[in-house]
Amino acid sequence: MSVSDLFEYPFLVRGFICVMLLAPLLGGISHLVVARRMAFFSAALGQAAITGVCVGLLLGEPLNAPYGGMFGFCLLSTLAMVYAKRRSKLPPDTLIGVFLALTLGLGLCLLVAVTRQFNVHQVEAILFGSLLTVTDVDLVLLVIAVIGVAFLLFRHYNDLLLDSLSTPLATVRGINSALLEYGFALVLTIAILVSLKVIGALLVEALIIVPAAAARNVARGTRSYLLWSVVVAFVAGAGGLAISTRLLVPTGGAVVLAVSLIFFLTLAIGSMRGTGSG
Amino acid sequence: MQNKNNSYPPHLLLNDQLLEISGLTLRPGRQAVLSNFSLTVERGTLHAIVGPNGAGKTTLLSAILGLMPFEGRIVARWAGRGRIAYVPQQFEVDRTLPVTVADFLALTRQTFPVCLGVTRAARTRISRLLDRVGLGGIEDRPLSVLSGGELRRVLLAHALDPLPELLILDEPGGGLDAAAARWLDDTLVSLKGEITVLMVSHDSEQVRRIADRVTVLSPTLRTPEPTSSRAPEP
Repeated sequence: MSVSDLFEYPFLVRGFICVMLLAPLLGGISHLVVARRMAFFSAALGQAAITGVCVGLLLGEPLNAPYGGMFGFCLLSTLAMVYAKRRSKLPPDTLIGVFLALTLGLGLCLLVAVTRQFNVHQVEAILFGSLLTVTDVDLVLLVIAVIGVAFLLFRHYNDLLLDSLSTPLATVRGINSALLEYGFALVLTIAILVSLKVIGALLVEALIIVPAAAARNVARGTRSYLLWSVVVAFVAGAGGLAISTRLLVPTGGAVVLAVSLIFFLTLAIGSMRGTGSG
Repeated sequence: MQNKNNSYPPHLLLNDQLLEISGLTLRPGRQAVLSNFSLTVERGTLHAIVGPNGAGKTTLLSAILGLMPFEGRIVARWAGRGRIAYVPQQFEVDRTLPVTVADFLALTRQTFPVCLGVTRAARTRISRLLDRVGLGGIEDRPLSVLSGGELRRVLLAHALDPLPELLILDEPGGGLDAAAARWLDDTLVSLKGEITVLMVSHDSEQVRRIADRVTVLSPTLRTPEPTSSRAPEP
């Protein structure tokens, strides 16, 4: 399939627009997710989305737009995880692990019930991502999410980064750390939900974490960190889309393969330049 | 009461208490670290809190900063805008996080997101600040490669702009070489009268040199009134 073929099929055009929108959204968020050590949190949210989809479908939502169940369940999981993390003295990864197991267990039980009503291949699209299921409504939601998240991050970016570096310093400067944590978790939830159609619930966390991890290998300041995160997310998205349409494999898997390849490339570049995580 | 420094601005009266703590009990875990604790910090002075590990010095600072719940009263009588600045004992920077000194200092000196660039105005202000703490020219160095002493100076630069009414420092001399420690002492002494400094320290020599008042905390004696005193003359 050539580039010109891309514009012959509406679903491919929608997919390409999705990638163009997801790159700044996920790339922009991903470096804050990594800075705030929320990688595992985003993985747990991705798993919670599967359960949310099942809840939505069982409550009668349409297969191509189970947003109510997904958003409701993910929001509940987000609030519960942040609340427990702030209240408990247990390490955050332990707590999130408990939530991950709980939501995944519940999701698997519900998935059995869902597959009695729907063809398992239809549900697969949500788990692994599929361009065929992306509708115009999804695109509109994605545009709204990108604008909303960009606005919130533009206003609160500096506070978020200072709070990531040192919560006491942020608090002393009058920043409400708790509000920021809940707010950012909510933004992350929205970003994950609008990405699910393309990337899939099982793999969405990869595009939340890996662009920033790759960017860290080569970035030398906050500005280049953001820029690299967005570029990596875009190249992985576009590359994954091309692989997916050419080899007829799930989009999510192809995007994750592409982003992982880029990560190892940047790791090598970072090692040669003496930057990065080494 | 007399003071070594006679150059206080007229509005800073020595008996004027900036901070009044009474009946304070702190329980970071199940057991109280401080119990029925009282302390007053006079405006314009450098007040040191000393004591062995586990005496509750850092916990006390956390309560004053509003970072942990407490029982009792902590009252601050601000004369101005009431800004507190804090230099923590530990500031562990993730070594893989690409945040430069300029990025860090710009976070509270510009409203424009730092990830989109440091504004010219902020950069000028940051350069001046770094010059003030003897670190001119390190704007573009990552925070993670700074030495302990350099990082402490950057944190002090961050704390001093804008000038706070109360500066709280937790072990400011930790990890500093002799020259850096001397510089820190001179800087803190130069701030006396202009602002109030509350400092936790393990360094009895430093306390002797620069503190106006000293409060001693000990794990067995947690009511400091009998041990709170003026620092001895050097």
